[in-house]
Amino acid sequence: MTDKILQTTDLTKQFGALTANDEISLSIDRGEIRGIIGPNGSGKTTFFNTVTGFYKPDGGSVHFDGKEVTGWKPYRLARRGLGRTFQIVSPFKNMTVRQNMLAVQTDDGRSREEKRNRAEEIMEFLEIDHIANNEARGMSGGQQKLLELGRVLMLDPELVMLDEPAAGVNPALESRIMDHIHELNRDGTTFVVIEHDMHVMKTLADSVSVFDSGSHITQGNFTDISQDDAVREAYLGGTTAEEDGVPI
Amino acid sequence: MVNIGLFTQIVINGLLLGGIYVTIGVGFSLAFGVLEVVDFAVGEYVMIGAFTGALLTPLLGAEGVFVIPIVLISFFALGALIQPMIHHVTTGDRPHPLLMGLVFTFGLATLLRGSVLSIFGPNNRDVPSSLLTGGVEISGVGTFPVVRTVTAVFGVSALVVFMYYLYRTTGGMAIRAIAEDRTNARLMGININRYQSIAYGAYAALTGSAGVFIGMTFTANPGMGLQYTAFAFFMVVLAGMGYLPGVIVAGIVLGLTQSFTAVYISGNLVLLVLFAIIYVVLLISPAGILGRGEWAT
Amino acid sequence: MSETTSVTNRIPGSRRYWYVGLGALMITWPIIFGNFWARIGVGALMWIGLAQSWNMIGGYAGYLDFGHGAYFGIGAFAAGIAMVQFGYPFVVGFALAIVVSIAISYLVAVPTLRLTGAYFAIATWAFAEAVKQAALITGITGGTFGLSLPRSPDTFIGVALPFQIGETFFYYAMLMLCMATMSLTYYLFERHEFGYRVKALRDDQDAAESLGIDTTRVKRQVYVLSCVVAAVFGSVHAWYIVYIHPNDVLATIITDRMVIMALLGGLGTLTGPVVGGLLVFLLQRLSSVFLGSTTFYLPLIGILIMITVLFAPSGIIGILRGEIDRNDVRQNVKDLGEKFNLL
Repeated sequence: MTDKILQTTDLTKQFGALTANDEISLSIDRGEIRGIIGPNGSGKTTFFNTVTGFYKPDGGSVHFDGKEVTGWKPYRLARRGLGRTFQIVSPFKNMTVRQNMLAVQTDDGRSREEKRNRAEEIMEFLEIDHIANNEARGMSGGQQKLLELGRVLMLDPELVMLDEPAAGVNPALESRIMDHIHELNRDGTTFVVIEHDMHVMKTLADSVSVFDSGSHITQGNFTDISQDDAVREAYLGGTTAEEDGVPI
Repeated sequence: MVNIGLFTQIVINGLLLGGIYVTIGVGFSLAFGVLEVVDFAVGEYVMIGAFTGALLTPLLGAEGVFVIPIVLISFFALGALIQPMIHHVTTGDRPHPLLMGLVFTFGLATLLRGSVLSIFGPNNRDVPSSLLTGGVEISGVGTFPVVRTVTAVFGVSALVVFMYYLYRTTGGMAIRAIAEDRTNARLMGININRYQSIAYGAYAALTGSAGVFIGMTFTANPGMGLQYTAFAFFMVVLAGMGYLPGVIVAGIVLGLTQSFTAVYISGNLVLLVLFAIIYVVLLISPAGILGRGEWAT
Repeated sequence: MSETTSVTNRIPGSRRYWYVGLGALMITWPIIFGNFWARIGVGALMWIGLAQSWNMIGGYAGYLDFGHGAYFGIGAFAAGIAMVQFGYPFVVGFALAIVVSIAISYLVAVPTLRLTGAYFAIATWAFAEAVKQAALITGITGGTFGLSLPRSPDTFIGVALPFQIGETFFYYAMLMLCMATMSLTYYLFERHEFGYRVKALRDDQDAAESLGIDTTRVKRQVYVLSCVVAAVFGSVHAWYIVYIHPNDVLATIITDRMVIMALLGGLGTLTGPVVGGLLVFLLQRLSSVFLGSTTFYLPLIGILIMITVLFAPSGIIGILRGEIDRNDVRQNVKDLGEKFNLL
């Protein structure tokens, strides 16, 4: 069991003439919460997609939990313990919340009973158990976000990659989601989180990676990053103003 | 030993056929780009055009060519009538809107084919033309049957006019904008609905009039729609859905393929060969041009 | 979400009696009502089964298979070829239909299911047309002459049986097959987790993949299953009508009918194909009886498809379940009307 749960080496993805990911090398330590920031179009979501198997990389490699998984299909990675969410939430509309949870497939030999119990546990944890029998179609945006997190948790993942979990979410729910993430992290789950909300990033992330124009330009803790001139120029609007240590 | 004379004649026939197929293909491809619907009814528009020709020609002095303007206008109106329905189906809160659009056109095709079959029976009908008879022989090359040549000329001219409209007028530019990026087109103030109507109406008109010519060249038969739908699919699959210049090449390839297969293999097998090619092409390189999410693994 | 309650929920516990009565009726149908109605029953049961088979891949999985009818024809010809060209009894033809359809559908599934919605529809459509063309050309299928199947009492299992193979026999055969199909669909797609995965991949394929679902495998399984079911019905149908020809059993109209039955009834529902199947089948029968035409139902089916897609895309079951009510449909019509005014 390595202490680097995820490692990419020179991971590259091109779309025609556009190099969306240019030799990205980074590694995530087991148990950390890594933030990823960067301007729109800098390749963050592409990175997620390439790591999780939705895109085939044009170069480089991905190692998950010590094993090379470059080019593995998404479902294989998911079953191995790598969960991810998408920027645009879409629950399985024609099923109930509970059925959404039960649709998740692992190959760990759990019995149906065990799986149902686990689903109940997770729904209670996220406080969506009261709508378990509701059709996903009628849920509010916030509830959908929670369901998405719940589904991923059904994989019992070791690493969860979240793509803008706080986007479009009211502050109360945002804080709830962050609490959940912290609690799961304390229990051993590693997180990689793409976010644009700097307040969220500051309180959440142990360490932050910065993307710009397809490259992974730097990494460090939030304070160092936000002081970095290059980062400020590229992403934070070149500002030197701050509020509670967060650039504005 | 290959008979050069026969060979060139086959090529000529193929090219002439290609001339009219291109018209159908371009219209079909555009309809897809602008309405985002794979129109299963395309072949039936051809069929109805041919039938209109067969039915109206006796009333117009037994000259098929005179039917053309009527078809152009009435089919444009027909297309403008159908387009809002397609638009309604492909937008709005329903599961799989675009696929539902496809199902809709599938139903439309069935309606058109079934109606003509029920009302007029399964037999062939001719679209007579006293003007377009005979052939022009160019020694050393081959014979250019008048009706086929005029058909091809019509096809190419229609195409040129259409292309001119698309690339050199503001209206055409609006349509291209919609085909390329609907959301931004709307934001730029383009009246999507109006231009979609125009595009679909133009497509129906073109396809219908192509049908009249095809009726004159071959015959009109209620079941002929399937063949031309297959042809349309063939062209856009080869060219890539929505890529107009490719469709022109594909149309010519189609004409040549049909011509060669009919002579060197068997007339019956033309469709089979085409379907096989569609199939193989779809499998080897399913259009990445569609860009319906690069997510697809 | 609509506030209306579904019609079925308003039926109290007497539902059980309903089902028992219905079951008894279906079992005694040919005995009570005689050969003519048995024949109607054969047709209705077969089409319900076919509609359900299409519903598996088209409704539950969301892949519009516009060439599904080809497997009906493949099953028919498998039985026909086994019996006519090789002299085997029907059971062999039946088994052959299953084996052949599994093989062909798997071969088709692997490349075709990689395609997205519209392309998949075109590819399957092209495949079906190609099959028909091929059947018209090759000799083993009887070419343009078709095949005539034998039906003496010893052609079922090769040994002479003490009963005639007539309407009643086929009625019960279709009844069993239809019930088997319904049970299979119910168990696999509505009760088992397999159904959740299928619906998941229909609703959002990428999300499904990211949650450990091997969507490629699931798609293939559904497709092959749906094709085998169609082929099975095709084989029995071949023996039933005795004479098969590519233009009949491989006709496009077969797929058309399956699609409209599933669509009208309600895609991705268990009872949708039953409702849709019965309705469309009866419509076709009635139109041929009262209008004397064997083709008039074609434009009717076309209009039905268009209207359903325009105004009630979740089908009759959707209406019964309260997903759409009169107000929604009215709103739908209004929206459509507005689009015309914009011209």
